Amino acid sequence: MKSRIPERGSTHVYNVSKISKEEIDSMVERCVYEQPPFCNAACPLRLDTRALLKAVAAGNFKKALQLYEKIAPFPLILSQGCEAPCEAKCRLCERGDGIAIRAIESAVARFGEQSKLGGVFRSTKKQKAAIFGSGLFALFLAGELEKKMYPVTVFCAEPDEEMYLRGAAPFLDDAAFTLELKRLKRKEIRFVFGCEITAEFFRQKREEYQILGASEAAAKTFFPVAECTPDVMLYEKENLIMGSGSGVMDTAFGAKKAALTADRLAQNLDPRNTRGREGAVESKLYTDLSQAEALTRVPIPPEGYSRDQAMEEARRCLQCRCEECLKTCAYLRHYGKHPGLLAREIYNNTQIIMGDHQLNKPMNSCALCGQCTAVCPNGMDMARVCHMARENMVATDKMALAPHEFALLDMLFSNEEAFLSRPQPGFETCRYVFFPGCQASAVAPETVRAAWEDLSTRLEGGVALMLGCCGAIADWAGRREIYDHTKAFLDAELSKLGDPIVIAGCPTCAKQLRSRESLEVIGIWDILLQLGLPVGAKGLDRPAALHDACGARGDSVTQNAIRSLAKQLGCDLKEPKDALDRAPCCGYGGLAGYANPEVAAELTEQCIERGEGPWITYCMACRDRFARAGQETHHLLELVYGKDAQDAPDISEKRRNRRALKRDLLLEYWNEETKGMEPEFKITYTLEAREMMDQRMILTEDVENVLRAMRKTGEAVLDGESGLIIARARLGNTTFWVGFTEEGADAYIVHRAYSHRMQVVRRQG
Amino acid sequence: MDERSYYTIDPEGKLKCLKCGVPLEKGKAKFLYLDNGFPVELPVCPKCGFVYVPESLALGKVLSVEKALEDK
Repeated sequence: MKSRIPERGSTHVYNVSKISKEEIDSMVERCVYEQPPFCNAACPLRLDTRALLKAVAAGNFKKALQLYEKIAPFPLILSQGCEAPCEAKCRLCERGDGIAIRAIESAVARFGEQSKLGGVFRSTKKQKAAIFGSGLFALFLAGELEKKMYPVTVFCAEPDEEMYLRGAAPFLDDAAFTLELKRLKRKEIRFVFGCEITAEFFRQKREEYQILGASEAAAKTFFPVAECTPDVMLYEKENLIMGSGSGVMDTAFGAKKAALTADRLAQNLDPRNTRGREGAVESKLYTDLSQAEALTRVPIPPEGYSRDQAMEEARRCLQCRCEECLKTCAYLRHYGKHPGLLAREIYNNTQIIMGDHQLNKPMNSCALCGQCTAVCPNGMDMARVCHMARENMVATDKMALAPHEFALLDMLFSNEEAFLSRPQPGFETCRYVFFPGCQASAVAPETVRAAWEDLSTRLEGGVALMLGCCGAIADWAGRREIYDHTKAFLDAELSKLGDPIVIAGCPTCAKQLRSRESLEVIGIWDILLQLGLPVGAKGLDRPAALHDACGARGDSVTQNAIRSLAKQLGCDLKEPKDALDRAPCCGYGGLAGYANPEVAAELTEQCIERGEGPWITYCMACRDRFARAGQETHHLLELVYGKDAQDAPDISEKRRNRRALKRDLLLEYWNEETKGMEPEFKITYTLEAREMMDQRMILTEDVENVLRAMRKTGEAVLDGESGLIIARARLGNTTFWVGFTEEGADAYIVHRAYSHRMQVVRRQG
Repeated sequence: MDERSYYTIDPEGKLKCLKCGVPLEKGKAKFLYLDNGFPVELPVCPKCGFVYVPESLALGKVLSVEKALEDK
């Protein structure tokens, strides 16, 4: 049997870009996961406050101090003198007290166990640094350069370290002063005390040092016209690093910039270039404040926080991180990546010409449901990224058929063998056409029949019936060509019916069909609200949870109509967590269930966990997946028409249902007979075989075709161990194998079935 | 020169070709997928050339190679 859809080749060396780099950049930018927390963004020294508070909350003061020392060679000076712009930016301020970050930093500086300086691979740099003068800038600069492993010599007028430190940080309390003095003495900074800081002294010393730094006062003594260029903290004419600051934080920031200038000068590079981003930034991060509970600050005693108090205060930190989509999407959680990163990786995947496309599965596992866009504060759209990536992969002939072939063939089945388009008997063209959607006919054919019979009785002008697929499957698979073909086919069929108003039975069909400007599309729910419920319509006699369909996301008219209809039915609706536009996908969307059954199962599980059943859905695919997961679920139309499709059908039954619905309706309403498709022999299946086939996507008609081929050629193998006869046939792109026993001449019991896509041939030699 | 076989299954007399009525033997075969070929040794009927792919092979090695090639 020839394949209906060609498999791709393995040589694809050309590239079609359906997504431009600029486009993906602008999409990725919407994801704010990697934006800094507000406290960190406000800090010119860019302290990793979030990590520091996390460490303190866990009682790990050693780690907290390591983080703090990265930006502060003298942690107590900074924590006692810092203006702490971070505190005002703490998001908790909007609800109560912001975190007392500075007091916690001070506790970290007091209680943190200092890690041993240096490491195995830390070695002193060759270039020597000299710092002239005293004051906070000179002290901080000495600390920064020592941290960068420059041998540092400080020339100052003071007689000892104590006086030097006192002069630089007069605001330190006694306890802090003692600790900081100890820290200063431990550092590998050489002091030359009692110097007379004059221009002559500078001239004598400058030749010995490659890096020269000075306090502002000293610099002005050496060069009365000396001016500091603030970006690089340099008197450029003399390559003299200098500076002061208007406060402790500003001075620390200046010293940090100056130390980077020293690095650039030491390498004979222009100090202005490639400095990276320095200083405070604006953050676009989103923080969910709805869960903020501890809103009152732990009071700060005059002597500062104790260890326990600091820990308690740090535990109030929300650890700002935008994970809105990760909270609601099982697909994103499955891959453990925020959409900015995943989108970038998926885009890169489309750009690979030779080599492994490791992101194929992730891009095909997204349900394309749009939930992330609805919950994201900036509208990050993973569905668009994954959909465009799929289209790109197909267009460049890099997309394997395997993940989507079953669904695409099922769509072709819906629009060929099971397709039906007829005007209501007695009409040549119709005012309306009922389009229930492929899954409705597959899962609940009796409901489809009842709905059409009802509509065609109660509506004026004739209601045609069209059983088929709207094309969503080809669209989801990124198969533009098949989609366009489907669209043209449906348009032609609609035209034959007199371009009627489409009454969609499925919100996804409604959405797909609405993309045509020329077509008027309404939902059956809208019509039923206008007409009123048919006789016998009855809601459930106990409370039920309503699951919103992703096809209706952003469509409040449909969402409201469904609720009104359910109320008219007398349903006691319970809204589950994440309803309306925030509703998760059942796992059918985007063909996730075909490409990645594991992720699809997680999506279904996540849907079910939101509330307590029984469930009411208005999409037949949701109804099917919920029922398969063992939930009592009713499609709203099943309640309207008093039909219960009972248990979820397996994949073969879904085809049989569609075939039978078409056959029965054609005979009953249009007096047309359909040729029988029953095999000329009898097949029964063991329960194990049926389950195996459903899971392995093997249809009963595949098994019938294998047996038909075997009966023709006589080709089969007898397995002496199991006693099974095993036959095979190549059907399209797949080889199917069936293990069976015979029950007389024309009857078979099927025990096993499996398949593979590789072709196997005999080899000579 | 003989091609190296990636995979070998010896039927050990447990399989019989139903058409020819003879036991399957270890024989040369080839898997083909997306323009790639892999020489293997599988149970083959010495008369009609029927090549048998057991379930464990189809769902194990064959499936994993298919997936790897699909992502190439």
